[in-house]
Amino acid sequence: MADEQRPEEQPEEFRPRGTVAILVMFVLAIIILWASVYVILLSRGVTV
Amino acid sequence: MSQPGSTKQSVHIDPYEKNWMRISIILLIIFGTAVTVAGFALGFQVPSPEERVDPNNLTGPWLNPGLRELSPGVYEVYIIANATTWQFDPPAVEVPVGSTVTFYVTSRDIQHGFKLQDTNINMQIVPGQVSKLTYTFDEVGEYPYICTEYCGIGHAAMFGTFTVVEK
Repeated sequence: MADEQRPEEQPEEFRPRGTVAILVMFVLAIIILWASVYVILLSRGVTV
Repeated sequence: MSQPGSTKQSVHIDPYEKNWMRISIILLIIFGTAVTVAGFALGFQVPSPEERVDPNNLTGPWLNPGLRELSPGVYEVYIIANATTWQFDPPAVEVPVGSTVTFYVTSRDIQHGFKLQDTNINMQIVPGQVSKLTYTFDEVGEYPYICTEYCGIGHAAMFGTFTVVEK
């Protein structure tokens, strides 16, 4: 019985789209929350 | 100089992880720069321990806490936090708008907090230590000051009122 020849299997590219989407939301949330606190700090005036 | 027979090894890092590290480092640089600008260029200061006092034997200005006018428009106020009555002494302070006020706050007994609402004045009040911050009040209004450290059963009722009035 002759060996059946298989085409070379390409490894499937890893694309964690869901994880990336969650991380993007996380980064945006951190930036927005941090920036809002910073703006409040600046708007309230200087403490010496 | 490489040793004979040694092989060069490199750590494999996934491109996604590399990008995540880059983003994290960029954010840290941005946040660090913003804090540095606020602290050193704009002059925002955190409360500093001004001096040591004996909480069981407060002397000097602490015998008569309250507001003192140093010069026109410049004031200092001494405030004592008290956990036996859960009150600030004095419970109310009033200054004209445009005043620059230096707050000296200490505790007679246990640890308290001192937060003046709608301002950046927020200090930890430790017995035996005087916390100090200076602030200029440019807007008329009532600024409640509250205890922000749980100090006992009366903590929730521990507050005072700082009022800024028209000249």
